[in-house]
Amino acid sequence: MQNRKAAANAIIYPLLVVFAIITLIPFAHMLAGALKTKFDYAATLFLPAGDGFLGIGWDRITLDNFVRLFELDIGRAMLNSLFLSSVHAILTVLFCSMGGYALAKLRFKGREFVTTLVLTALIIPGPLLLAPGFQLLYQLGLLNTYTGLLLPGLTPAFGVFLFRQAMLNGVPNELIEAARIDGAGEARIFFELVLPLVRPMMGAFLMISFMGTWNNFINPQIVLQSPDLQPLSVALNNLKGLYGTDYALIMAGTIVSISPVMCIFLLLQREFIAGLTGGAVKG
Amino acid sequence: MIKALRENIDRFLSPGALVILTIAIVTSFIVASLPARVVDGIPFWLAATAHRKAYVSMVAEWNEQKPDKKIGMTQLHSRALERRMLSGFLSGTPVADIIEANLGVVAKVFLGPINEIGFVDLTDRIHNEGIYEQINTPSFAPYTSRGRIFGLPHDVHPVLLAYRSDIVEAAGIDVSTIETWDDYFRVMRPLFRDRDGDGQPDHYLMTADDTRGDVAIMLILQAGGSIFDDNDKPNFASERNAHVLAELTTWIAGPNATCTDVPANTAAGHRQRLEGFVIGTLVPDWMAGSWKIENPGLSGKLKFMPVPAWEKGGRRTSVAGGTMIGIPKASKNFETSWEFVKYLYLNPALAKHMFENTSIISPVKTTWTESFYDEPDPFFSGQPIGRMYIEQAPDVPHRPSSPYTSAGGQKIASSLIALAQYARTNEIYDVEALEIEALQILQEEQATLERLISRNRFITEGG
Amino acid sequence: MKRLNYAPWLFLAPFLLLFSLFTVWPLIHSMFLSMQQTYGPGRTEWVGLHNFKFLLTDPLFWKATSNTVKFAAGSLFIQLPVALGLALLLNRPGLRGRAYFRLIFFAPSLVGMPFVAMLFAPIFARHTGLLNKTLNYFVSSWPIDFAWTQNYVMSALIIAALWMSAGFNMVYFLAALQNVSRDLIEAAEIDGAGAWHKFWHITLPEIMPIAGFVTLLSVIASFQLFELSYIMLNDSAGPDNRGLTIVMYLYQTGFEAGDLGYASSIGWVLAIMLISIALIQRRILKRHEDR
Repeated sequence: MQNRKAAANAIIYPLLVVFAIITLIPFAHMLAGALKTKFDYAATLFLPAGDGFLGIGWDRITLDNFVRLFELDIGRAMLNSLFLSSVHAILTVLFCSMGGYALAKLRFKGREFVTTLVLTALIIPGPLLLAPGFQLLYQLGLLNTYTGLLLPGLTPAFGVFLFRQAMLNGVPNELIEAARIDGAGEARIFFELVLPLVRPMMGAFLMISFMGTWNNFINPQIVLQSPDLQPLSVALNNLKGLYGTDYALIMAGTIVSISPVMCIFLLLQREFIAGLTGGAVKG
Repeated sequence: MIKALRENIDRFLSPGALVILTIAIVTSFIVASLPARVVDGIPFWLAATAHRKAYVSMVAEWNEQKPDKKIGMTQLHSRALERRMLSGFLSGTPVADIIEANLGVVAKVFLGPINEIGFVDLTDRIHNEGIYEQINTPSFAPYTSRGRIFGLPHDVHPVLLAYRSDIVEAAGIDVSTIETWDDYFRVMRPLFRDRDGDGQPDHYLMTADDTRGDVAIMLILQAGGSIFDDNDKPNFASERNAHVLAELTTWIAGPNATCTDVPANTAAGHRQRLEGFVIGTLVPDWMAGSWKIENPGLSGKLKFMPVPAWEKGGRRTSVAGGTMIGIPKASKNFETSWEFVKYLYLNPALAKHMFENTSIISPVKTTWTESFYDEPDPFFSGQPIGRMYIEQAPDVPHRPSSPYTSAGGQKIASSLIALAQYARTNEIYDVEALEIEALQILQEEQATLERLISRNRFITEGG
Repeated sequence: MKRLNYAPWLFLAPFLLLFSLFTVWPLIHSMFLSMQQTYGPGRTEWVGLHNFKFLLTDPLFWKATSNTVKFAAGSLFIQLPVALGLALLLNRPGLRGRAYFRLIFFAPSLVGMPFVAMLFAPIFARHTGLLNKTLNYFVSSWPIDFAWTQNYVMSALIIAALWMSAGFNMVYFLAALQNVSRDLIEAAEIDGAGAWHKFWHITLPEIMPIAGFVTLLSVIASFQLFELSYIMLNDSAGPDNRGLTIVMYLYQTGFEAGDLGYASSIGWVLAIMLISIALIQRRILKRHEDR
């Protein structure tokens, strides 16, 4: 029995290591690409060839691409991405937790109806709303504004659903009743009692929202036309072809674009995964 | 106190969440306090880097002489320019006062009702101010919709065949006898061999393959075929076009294939071109200019010849690409914009400047006698490429445009792909047999396009 | 205890307001919009059912659909087994460094679709791309100029999507696997069950609900493929529209050609497809549960 286990492990470990390497190769390729000049780019797969140590041209590694990125105003795009993603995340968490709380813990006529509404909304595919949504923004005069981009998505049904799930089980009714008896107002109960109990879900949904907005391409592409307002996803795509598809530049841009999300993820890892899978596993 | 605050915050927000909240607050402040970027002067958008470089000094001169009518030139990526222009025309988002765009992009502006086209109709001004006579007439065609002209053309864009004279002459090949495509492939054939033993031919004879629909279109137009008629109706299902596609297919597939594609805009492509991977390429004047910038290593290795004709005595050039400059109706500075547009495009000083920077010849016929076009060009082994292009200018094929120009182009490209696939699958490489299939494919594609066009209410009624 | 209960409505107010304005209203409006033809959002003309009639015989739409289905099938039959496989490997009790492996496998899904597309474009290049060079190194008959993004677009997209999402789905499977009761497995081991038997008859049924959920999510997401293809093919559908997907066609007709009406009708057809898929999937799962 021990031998079988050890034998199995002897296969599993190397297998995992191989898969891990395969997974990391595109990252390495991206990093190496970002450090090469445009002309060296296609010559080698990873670092530029040369006379240095290990046959690598260490002297040809360059940070020029990053410098050029900022000359091309990536800084503004980065600011826009940070702004849109973080504000969207904070506001969605606020509004969705409020909505989820009402559906989970408050008794009122119409609760069933609104719950059904939320569940139905989960089925509506995003692309269906693209065209009419765009026309609505046009009619409201919100095209090419941050408001126009953010407002429609501030209370996703998915968020309300997640918070409802989290609160149904995670917030004991007795606690709320006790607080009510003590004379606390509804708002106070919500903010001081309930929210701390769903801290993990808040962290998870902040991350989900942040990432969702950060990586969203189609919405800013449609709504935002001024380069001053565009986030990284759109801005980086616009850089392509401006100088004859400079892949090295694009690689540098990609690194710059994914780093913030990666960093924040490292902080919110546990909650994020728990939040994602929690909704599914408990169902 | 701080400790209590920290504990309080920690009740709600994990460190990661706190980071996000902080970012939200900080960036909100920054975004709110950043001033909106104001373009200095009347906004002028363009996409081509080469053009921008050529215009910089002219714009500077204008701004110096007319400080109250400053022009603010901005370069955008061509897709971004297209998006913002169309969004401006259709949805009212901000758009520049002067826009220079290429014909593929401009064609999309013509999709709607004639009186709602986003550019100002310049037809009357062009005729009344005598501009129409100054410019090479076919150059207006791609920017004309339903008889009205919406922009000034930037160019003529004749096409010549560039070939690796260093390789060709070293092999002792004499190109002076080449008059037709048959001649070309026969004369160049000795180069299509695998001497270095790497399993691949050392040199392919011309740049073309299934995915180069643009090459197919150049060849079709050269041969006298057409894509749209003068009423903007598709008419590309013709025997002439079928013949060209069938011939082209035998060049790119089958036992006699000697052509391949070199990717145009990547470092890898430049390297391959430098190594002589392909001997000949169809080169419009703008491409000559961009090769000089992007692949300086080619200098002195190339020469031009007129494009080999389809039949003896046939046309020896074609046309590819085109740029125009127009003024959106939303512009608040029409008169100044119009003045600037004329200054930029009709000024003889620009013709020289343009040619020296981009090798593009001007559409203004009166400049064709200028001597700078006769300068030997060291990049092309001392040939006077300006004069060579001008010599072909009167023969440049006429291209009636249509709002569906790019769709039409795509249909040709799809037809080529389908024909090549048919040839390979059935191992049929005989031109006459392929012609029959080609015509059928073209007819199907044309029918589809006609259906698509008929769906558009805005064009078919009152358009 | 019935009192004037306005508190819940206040809590729900943001959701209800935004939902009505930006979901319900556009949803209703899109039914009308799909029966119009527009030239930009400001110019509309009524065409009745003409959009749908045209859609039924629109070769571009069917090309988009077949491409999308190919991609969804690839995701379903390649990506999910890979994700499950990785989860099974990681689920090994007492595995050292599990957290690190999990992080590495999950990392690609943080990159985001537009950036994955930009990242993979040079990898698929002919002659000089990472994939062709590697394949050519291991399998010398592999053509180094294999045209991924010209001829085999959907395959290239499946590969890119595999890299991006396998780790994401793996996390779900891992959570499900870790919920499988150890008692059941140990009981089977005592009975002398082999690894395959354990897997097929115990593990798989136990994780079926999650697997069903993940599958549905994956298929629905696959059907809405847009950014990956659009950005990798340089803001286009590729040669001969080989990279055209349903949502890309929607985007092109609505936002490049300006016909929001036709785009709406495409949206409705897509919605009907997705709902059908969800219903079919539910049927299959139900039948499986009843067994």
